[in-house]
Amino acid sequence: MESEPTLRGQNMEPLLTVDNLSKRYTKRGFAGARQDFVALDGVSFTVSTGTALAIVGESGSGKSTLASCIACLETPSAGNLWFEGKNLAQAPECDLRLIRPQIQLIFPDPASSLSARWTVLEILVEPLVLQGKLSRTQMETRAFSLLERVGLSQDAAERPPSELSGGQRQRLAIARALTLDPKLLILDEALSALDCSVQAQIANLLLELQSSLAMTFLFISHDLAMAAHLADEIAVMSHGRIIEHGPSTKILQNPGHEATRQLLAAVPRLPRPPWPATQQ
Amino acid sequence: MSLPRKVTIWLLVLAVMHGIVLCAGFFAPYNPVEQDRKNPYLPPMRLHVMDTQKHLHLRPFVYLFQIRPGTFDQYAEDTAQPRPLKFFVTGDRYRLLGFVPAHLHLFGADNDRIYLLGTDAYGRDQLSRLLFGGQISLLAGLLGAGFTLLIGWCIGAAAGYYGGWRDDLLMRLAELFLALPWLYLLFAIRAFLPLAVNPLQAFFLIVAVIAAVGWARPARLVRGIVLSAKERDFVRAARGFGASDLYLLRRHIFPETSSVLLTQAAILIPQYVLAEMTLSFLGLGVPEPVPSWGNLLSNLQQYSVLVSYWWMYLPALSIVPFFLGYLGLASALQESPGAYKIGRRSLGSLA
Amino acid sequence: MIRYFLRRLAHAFLLVIGVSILAFFFTTLAPGNYFDEMRLNPQISPETLAALRTQYQLDRPLPIRYASWVNSVLHGQMGFSFAYNSPVAPLLLVRSKNTLLLTITATLLAWAIAIPLGVWSAERLGRLPDRVISWSTAALLVVPDLALALGLLVLAVRTRWFPTGGMVSVDFESLSSFNKIRDLAMHLALPVAALVLSTLPLLVRHVRAAVAEVLRAPFLLAAEGHGIRRSTLLYRYALPAAANPLASLFGFSIGALLSGSLLIEIVMSWPGLGPFLLEAILARDIYVVIGGVLFSTIVLAAGNFLADMLLFWLDPRIRTESASQ
Repeated sequence: MESEPTLRGQNMEPLLTVDNLSKRYTKRGFAGARQDFVALDGVSFTVSTGTALAIVGESGSGKSTLASCIACLETPSAGNLWFEGKNLAQAPECDLRLIRPQIQLIFPDPASSLSARWTVLEILVEPLVLQGKLSRTQMETRAFSLLERVGLSQDAAERPPSELSGGQRQRLAIARALTLDPKLLILDEALSALDCSVQAQIANLLLELQSSLAMTFLFISHDLAMAAHLADEIAVMSHGRIIEHGPSTKILQNPGHEATRQLLAAVPRLPRPPWPATQQ
Repeated sequence: MSLPRKVTIWLLVLAVMHGIVLCAGFFAPYNPVEQDRKNPYLPPMRLHVMDTQKHLHLRPFVYLFQIRPGTFDQYAEDTAQPRPLKFFVTGDRYRLLGFVPAHLHLFGADNDRIYLLGTDAYGRDQLSRLLFGGQISLLAGLLGAGFTLLIGWCIGAAAGYYGGWRDDLLMRLAELFLALPWLYLLFAIRAFLPLAVNPLQAFFLIVAVIAAVGWARPARLVRGIVLSAKERDFVRAARGFGASDLYLLRRHIFPETSSVLLTQAAILIPQYVLAEMTLSFLGLGVPEPVPSWGNLLSNLQQYSVLVSYWWMYLPALSIVPFFLGYLGLASALQESPGAYKIGRRSLGSLA
Repeated sequence: MIRYFLRRLAHAFLLVIGVSILAFFFTTLAPGNYFDEMRLNPQISPETLAALRTQYQLDRPLPIRYASWVNSVLHGQMGFSFAYNSPVAPLLLVRSKNTLLLTITATLLAWAIAIPLGVWSAERLGRLPDRVISWSTAALLVVPDLALALGLLVLAVRTRWFPTGGMVSVDFESLSSFNKIRDLAMHLALPVAALVLSTLPLLVRHVRAAVAEVLRAPFLLAAEGHGIRRSTLLYRYALPAAANPLASLFGFSIGALLSGSLLIEIVMSWPGLGPFLLEAILARDIYVVIGGVLFSTIVLAAGNFLADMLLFWLDPRIRTESASQ
């Protein structure tokens, strides 16, 4: 399960090292009947700065749990999570609160991740308000520039998210995640809730952000083809473990594991080549 | 928070009713503790517009009473003594809203006393006592409901948000409080607090007692909402920006509970006013001479009063318009789209 | 099934114990004042106080007082009443029988009226009969039970159709068996009427809501399509499906009726726990108050237990859920 990082001329320093991470959920029953559900079982990999890694797996493989643990929204049961020299798995809450803004998570369902009672501007400005460093005008300027960055029009600012389309909401979620200049952006099934055509648009936005921002990306998906389109490296997960890890082209063309083959087979294929393959 | 129109209407109705009671000094003709020992148990004076000569008067008037010859306590109208009702008269001094000195009253007569709702054993005007008594009873209900909701929210939110053993402990405690019928619980708490206290202390004592009785049900409701709210993506996202627990509870989770709180308030306030009435009626609440709707009724425990003086029963019905108002408010809240509905399982929601 | 039964029983038992501890905890609300006041109370002789002090360790900390009280409960005494100079248990027993008579009669009557009325109303949802019932229940709901009780009392006095207080007439013992029952019924009529009228509106509303919910279900429409008779449809198909909310409503109604009966007994001089407890509070008779509170908890817990068992019988989902555990 050794990673084979693609040479891209990027900074090869590891930004995130996941070391034997495990997460167990215990269901409390009375009279001692405790059932354990193992979501993550000894997951290890490294993500280098400036690269994009995709984690692919079927439902229930533990991808979302992994995303939550890396984003420090859940505490792992065992293992280490090295980020910029600190072990997030064992850091105290006060430290975590300072670290969390640097690792941003985009959720699968944009409707539920945006507070329905607020306007777009309020949603965008919230992270800055929490940091408390900028003045109101500075915050609004930043918010408007982010709106532009993700391709939303300025007059969306006063509307509630319910008036936006699914694709626009996801753009907003991405904009919000970018407010604090995170070092790592995790996209948990960020495209799955969208229509096909909208998926393509957001995918292009993500690729564009990748190339223009000095950010590391972690894509979580069940769609192997989309993952290959967005990232150079793929790690395949199944039942809480990583079963394959390598460059996207290699995984696509030569899947080593049965589960990977099944994922590949699940990708809907049109009579013509699906995605323009990333030429290496 | 924009409210549906029906809700606003009921809130307005309630505001007007509370406003009248709040300005009891103005609407009541006399001081509630002022006695008139020469006129005990006077029946209500009837308003007339047509006198015995069949003349129509523009200004309504009443006849004073005189004792029927041959009896000790039967009164008849003395048609030779009409007293016109004057509006906006100067009368006893009072303090509007508790601190603005005033002496303007809505109505009254020049020198005589008009008893539109009769008098009690000490000759005190029942109408004035009713209005001032409402201040005490309603305030007790409002304060009690406010405190209960505050306690209930804090406990429910703590249980739902932090979970674990705290949740178990707090919910078991709530279960204990729910295992007692409310009046028994009220009695139990009241029993061990001092009995002979002055009216102000008694008032706050009752507020504390009734607030302590009802926190469990709102706490459970809030806990349920907080449990699901804290797992919502937008709350997790805010955590991702480095939000503290307090911030999340205040800015994201509390708004989710606001609808439940409002509906619970509409249900609890009338129940708590009734609780104060019950306590005062039994002599465990606000003591004489301070009037409250409850202790206005306490002399009805004597059969002689119950049978002969029907107007002493009226304070029992004084709460009815308020109950109607709160019932209307609660129904309107339930009918509103989505946000204000409590779960079907929660009882008392149809009260 | 036995497991579920035992589990609910254990739960009820623990609840009663928990409440007794809570009630004892309330006595700490005014520790110093309380016992000083007892000393000032003329009804309690110094000898009694001294004897009680040794027996119940009245000035000792809470856990010790609680332990000696539990000891007293296990010996069938449940503490000591200062005002009556006797153990609490026999005093409570007499009164609680009367309260139970009142409460159980009122419960049965209220539910016997509420279910048909609620079902009937739910069936005609939105139409005139339903609206009439909704308005009448609303009208009853806004009248406080204090006003209802006092009003009925006035009625009794004015019309002389019903006795105005007490449980039996003075010459009860000399009556024939039939007349004894009749006499009891006449005395029971007003308090029961007051209780039933005060809880009926809430019950009818909830039954109506629960049944209306079920009547919308597709399975009922399908059953109707099979040509099943209307009454069977309502009572053997719809009602059990509404059992879940109704069972918890039953538990809730017991609590409401217990509280209501407390007040109504006092107003209508029914010799139950109500007047007795009030007297005890005014006389600072601590163990009587705790005993009464415990009694109400036991009855409520029993009512909820009954509701659980009823639900278990009616709702197959609970049966399978408990079997799989």
